[in-house]
Amino acid sequence: MPRRISIRQSVMAADEKIAGLLRRKLSEKKILMLNLIGSPGAGKTALLEATLKGARFRSAVIEGDIATSRDADRIARTGTRAVQINTRGGCHLESHLVQKAMEELDLDGLDVIFIENVGNLVCPAEFDLGEDMKVAVSSVPEGPDKPLKYPHLFSRAGAVLLTKVDLVRHIGFDRGLFWGDVEGLNPLARKLEVSSLDGSGIQEWIDLVEKWVGEKRK
Amino acid sequence: MHEFSLIEAVIDSIEERSREGSWGRITKVTLKIGEMRQVIPEILQFSFSVASKGSSMEGAELVIIELALEKRCRSCGNSWKGSASRCTSCGSDDTETVSGMELEIESVEVEE
Repeated sequence: MPRRISIRQSVMAADEKIAGLLRRKLSEKKILMLNLIGSPGAGKTALLEATLKGARFRSAVIEGDIATSRDADRIARTGTRAVQINTRGGCHLESHLVQKAMEELDLDGLDVIFIENVGNLVCPAEFDLGEDMKVAVSSVPEGPDKPLKYPHLFSRAGAVLLTKVDLVRHIGFDRGLFWGDVEGLNPLARKLEVSSLDGSGIQEWIDLVEKWVGEKRK
Repeated sequence: MHEFSLIEAVIDSIEERSREGSWGRITKVTLKIGEMRQVIPEILQFSFSVASKGSSMEGAELVIIELALEKRCRSCGNSWKGSASRCTSCGSDDTETVSGMELEIESVEVEE
């Protein structure tokens, strides 16, 4: 007869342990870490470029992509330190990858680390990277039905950003449906509309990140 | 497609326990997976059959217990199924998730 052994352990125990270590380290150094999650083409990199140009806080960016260093190159052109992680087919970042990337950063000179996760609305939401907050990035051309179709990300995000709002007048967008569903899933999330192209909402977003930086320093 | 990563983590942690406890061949692995974990059981099964090759659980049965999303209101104690984040009875947003977020290795069966 086989013997049954009770385990009752989280599947991701090893990765959660590393995420915990990173969280402690970031607490000591008083660095805010934001994990940006959205579809390919949602405008995550453009949002970061616009943020970094206008921000007063000291930032670094960890870029997760399946291949190429295109996003890290774009970030580097803003004068911000960027570390590229290539997942070689992996659809999301995991904490041990972020740990390695963080070793390349000078943590004493930073207020914020932005992680740009692999473009994907599903898998990245599952993995704790040691961040303070997940930020859901959803763009106007994707359509207003994404929150209910991908409830896990939208219900766990600390902030939801609707990007490319300059396109609403060209292609239309049911704002009531989008924000109504976000509110239903996650009443406590901060909700913002931005356009990296014409700059609308970007200052509001920078102010919000600055507020979080201030809270982290306390 | 994060199922493969999850299965690799499952196999790694069971292998570690197996080495520590000098277990024999593992014949059954039971996982508890919450509805909100966006895991497709068929892909998990397939990933397990591929990734377990050469490990102490090669050929073992994988049992997946799926748990529905259930929330509870901290204000009035009401509980409900589904993703509504405000209490379906009193409307409060002070709620907690009771089940649906599990991602747990529940148990294994080992040959004596």
